[in-house]
Amino acid sequence: MALLSFLARRISQGVVIIFLVTLLIFTLLRVVPGDPVRLMAGGMAPEALIEEIAKEMGLRDPILVQFGRYMTGVVQGDFGQSFTRPASGASTGGTGFGDSSRGDRADVLTLIGDTLPMTLQLAALAVVFALIITFLIGTPAGLAPNRWPDRLAFYVSSIFVSLPNFWLGIVLALLFSVKLGWLPAIGYKGFAYTILPAIVLAIELSPVLIRNLSGSLSAVMQSPFISFGRVRGLGRRRIVYGHALRNASVPLLNLLGIQISGLLGGVLVVEFIFDYPGLGLLTINAVLQRDFPLIQGIAIITSAIFVLINIVVDLIASTIDPRLEY
Amino acid sequence: MAVVDLNEITVAQPLAAERRGVSITRRIWRAAFASYEFRIGLAIFVILVAAALFYPWLSGIDPTKLNVSAKLNAPWFIGDKWMWSAPLGTDQLGRDMLVRSLVGLRYSLLIGFSTVALMLVVGCTIGMLSGYYGGKVDLILMRLTDAQLSIPMIILAITVLGVSRPTIPAIILVLGLSSWPVYARVTRSVVMTERKQEYVRAAQVSGASNLRIMLFLLAPLIMPPVIFISVLDVARMMIFESILGFIGLGVQPPTPTFGNIIADGRKYLLNAWWIATMPGVFLCFTLTSVNLMGATLERARNRIYGGAL
Repeated sequence: MALLSFLARRISQGVVIIFLVTLLIFTLLRVVPGDPVRLMAGGMAPEALIEEIAKEMGLRDPILVQFGRYMTGVVQGDFGQSFTRPASGASTGGTGFGDSSRGDRADVLTLIGDTLPMTLQLAALAVVFALIITFLIGTPAGLAPNRWPDRLAFYVSSIFVSLPNFWLGIVLALLFSVKLGWLPAIGYKGFAYTILPAIVLAIELSPVLIRNLSGSLSAVMQSPFISFGRVRGLGRRRIVYGHALRNASVPLLNLLGIQISGLLGGVLVVEFIFDYPGLGLLTINAVLQRDFPLIQGIAIITSAIFVLINIVVDLIASTIDPRLEY
Repeated sequence: MAVVDLNEITVAQPLAAERRGVSITRRIWRAAFASYEFRIGLAIFVILVAAALFYPWLSGIDPTKLNVSAKLNAPWFIGDKWMWSAPLGTDQLGRDMLVRSLVGLRYSLLIGFSTVALMLVVGCTIGMLSGYYGGKVDLILMRLTDAQLSIPMIILAITVLGVSRPTIPAIILVLGLSSWPVYARVTRSVVMTERKQEYVRAAQVSGASNLRIMLFLLAPLIMPPVIFISVLDVARMMIFESILGFIGLGVQPPTPTFGNIIADGRKYLLNAWWIATMPGVFLCFTLTSVNLMGATLERARNRIYGGAL
């Protein structure tokens, strides 16, 4: 029962957040200069034609009217159609706007549905790599504060923060793909293409996690129940892995929930470098082409994912540590 | 009694004087400066900044001048065909990589520091007003902050810069205006506890205006710890600047920046790998030095404040 009311509360809060984000992105897209019709019709199109097309598409109505129309569609599961992408194949850009029927434009939901699993696969692998790095470096650091493992963790996380993701991507691709030929890098033809981008993302993600884990682990090791464990005659291994790490991983999990929204920026850049056909690449192209429906769709879906992840994180946290209330 | 009192005073006096004389800010500086990490970071940073300021000027090499006869020269440590004037090699148009990287570093530092300054001003002002006045002002400003936090910053930045011409002030404005909420939150939480303190009430009673209290009483107290955190953000903003440049939305060529040199050099990765990697090495060293300083300052601050704030 408590679980149900928790879910109801969090989901309704989430709906409000998603609504606000949509409204903000929607308004922002229309307030910021830059006319999508100009991009669609091409630079040479006469002004009158552009106005005509814009009117027909409803882009000259008041923003709130447009928003109302858009949200009515969204509630019914219709996210609209992309401005620039045909249903089959690459972006059309300036050409092919002569036809008045926009039936051959790709559905936003289809575009997102095709790319989202790719990004989720990348993100999941990145989180796994990041957690492996974090536990390998952060655990010894948390057990030996102010000694060399702690220093090592400090240096490693300082260096990891300082590696710009796009440069690291290029260097790793050059090293592992071109020079050594171990891993494929550009495009996507199988699971192996996910590994390099995921490593880059993991390196971007791990410094904050390392710092958090070593901090909270060293705090937990000071607490009375750890000394009591020693008195009870538990082995050090059991104390560390069964008790201390379990307690220290709760703040880590919460942080991970927050960091996943930050992962989005990294995903954008990394997918752009590795030409990985995911949501990030789609977003960059959508923004550069001012593809309003696509940007809005992506914003709604990503903020929904963000809300869901945070709910799941809270659920897992209360499973690990039953003292936590929902 | 009197004798004892006197003794106590003479013993206590120097200690108290020392305590009072050394402000918290200075104690944090001292604690940070005592660590090797901070000194190493500072040394690297000073060397790089000095190089960025003086080398392009002293060597007199123009970072944008083309020299086709000397194109794609390798750096000194791999090729035999290098010149003193271009120790790190040249790019596809014969421009010297060292000077180009250092000029890129100038822009990177300029944008990094001004962005953080802007973030601090906007964030602290909003946090200060919100925490000091409370009530409706607080409610509105904090909802604004929440909304701002929920928009992915990178989408915002590329949306705005994708359509308006990316000039240096535009970049600073976009980056600065998209990441102030953290500072607003921190400042607000401190101001909310401070404004109930006696010294603030005393100032209010003695007729000081709200503006005066905020500017002269609260700001000097709140700003130093916040500034210590913000050192780490300088590095973050420098990375963002280079990402924007890499996507083509940063400072526009021919002005060299880390982002656009690396984006250009990517096309020549197979036969001239140093074009894309050298500027990144510079960027990486700079960021490591800033991060080392920032992280030690943050640690020192946490130790001295005991994790408060």
